[in-house]
Amino acid sequence: MDLANHQRILLGLIRSNYQVRPDDDAYFHRVSQSRDLEEARGNIFLWRVYVLERTCVLTFTLLKQRNFLKQELDAFIRQHNISPFRETQAPAFLETLSSHSDPLIASVAQFELSLMKVRQGDPRAYTVSWAVEPHTILNNLAKNIPIEEERVPDGDYQILISRDLPSLFQIDRCPTEYIG
Amino acid sequence: MALGVTYEGRDPALLEKMLPHVDYIEVTPETIAEVKGEEIVLSPEVMSELKNIGKAVKIIIHGVSLSIGSHEGWSPNYLYLLDDFLQQIDVAWHSEHLGYTKVDGEHLGIMLAMPKTEQALDLVCERVRTIQERYRFPFLLENIVHVIPDFPGDYSEAGFLNALTERTGCGLILDVYNLECDAHNHGLNIPEFLDELNPTNVCELHVACGVEHNGFLLDVHSQLPRNSTVDLAQYAIKQVAKNAQVVVYEFMPEAVPGLGHAAIAEELRHLRARFQN
Repeated sequence: MDLANHQRILLGLIRSNYQVRPDDDAYFHRVSQSRDLEEARGNIFLWRVYVLERTCVLTFTLLKQRNFLKQELDAFIRQHNISPFRETQAPAFLETLSSHSDPLIASVAQFELSLMKVRQGDPRAYTVSWAVEPHTILNNLAKNIPIEEERVPDGDYQILISRDLPSLFQIDRCPTEYIG
Repeated sequence: MALGVTYEGRDPALLEKMLPHVDYIEVTPETIAEVKGEEIVLSPEVMSELKNIGKAVKIIIHGVSLSIGSHEGWSPNYLYLLDDFLQQIDVAWHSEHLGYTKVDGEHLGIMLAMPKTEQALDLVCERVRTIQERYRFPFLLENIVHVIPDFPGDYSEAGFLNALTERTGCGLILDVYNLECDAHNHGLNIPEFLDELNPTNVCELHVACGVEHNGFLLDVHSQLPRNSTVDLAQYAIKQVAKNAQVVVYEFMPEAVPGLGHAAIAEELRHLRARFQN
């Protein structure tokens, strides 16, 4: 058994993108049908959970509250070559979710990613648009309190994130535009 | 027998409780690294903490991302971090895991054990020699947990380790919790393994504990060690690994809030007493 081929097949099995062929070594047939493989995939998921629940608290909590965590994290693991360096996982996860079709998830992920960059010394300023009032949302997520969305006012808001601001970010209501 | 413990920085209250009980602090460079622009660098804050610790105890490095067994080559990023670490802090020795975490540059998200074949052994031995020449101080490899069934290769589990140490002179870390996981999950016969293992190069032992999930014992380092693990470590030291210098208790930082500082310190006190006898 050639080592490169051995490792490539196991990578494919772990990522669920390799179908064992009839002429593959019996070992790979055994692995593909094993409970161990399923458990290994579950462990990879759990390791990501351990890291992300600590490093991107707001977005992680929102995904959990909306029951999107498993779906989004599974997709992230499948589609991204995730580095073993813990500190790179949160930025990559947040970058992915920054273009999420759910506007609230996208806004929270963009905000958290920008804040992370600024805290690490990024001199740039970032602006994140919101379609709802952000104070309540962020407060609830930080304290892990369920968001009652019907009680959060709609409106156009922006959060400016910059290391020049005393608390690193500032929430502003966008001026209403009148069409006359 | 000396005692060591993992520490990943940024928790001085925990450190203060642990230091009176240990002789070694085990540091994993990847866990004290942070993103700076496009680069991954060691946290200056944690490095500063470690420089102060180094006056009271010895520091040992235990990497997780070298991926010494990847067919296409190891991870240069890990070696850059290691180089940087060694320029700032003296360490007693450094170590890694006998396995691989990436294939063709694609990260597995988990560590897999090497197939026990002649080809795999040749590859690992060549890389161990390169590391030994590059760093010129002791390098150890750890027996890792088998998360999938083992490939029936040319060597037994212990036979592969024996051949590795005989050919390269590298040291071994015997992780006894990993042995327990392999026994529980895949039927490893621990007494047979220990009987066959050449103990000469076993310099360090690890104790840890995870959880049982779906009938599998997981290597997640989230608990205080079980009595069975400590008993096995003690047995291994008395009967086999007589040259070992230190037992290291490993836990991950995510486990600290659940375990509590006081319980960790008490466990270290207990381990100290057990391994002094």
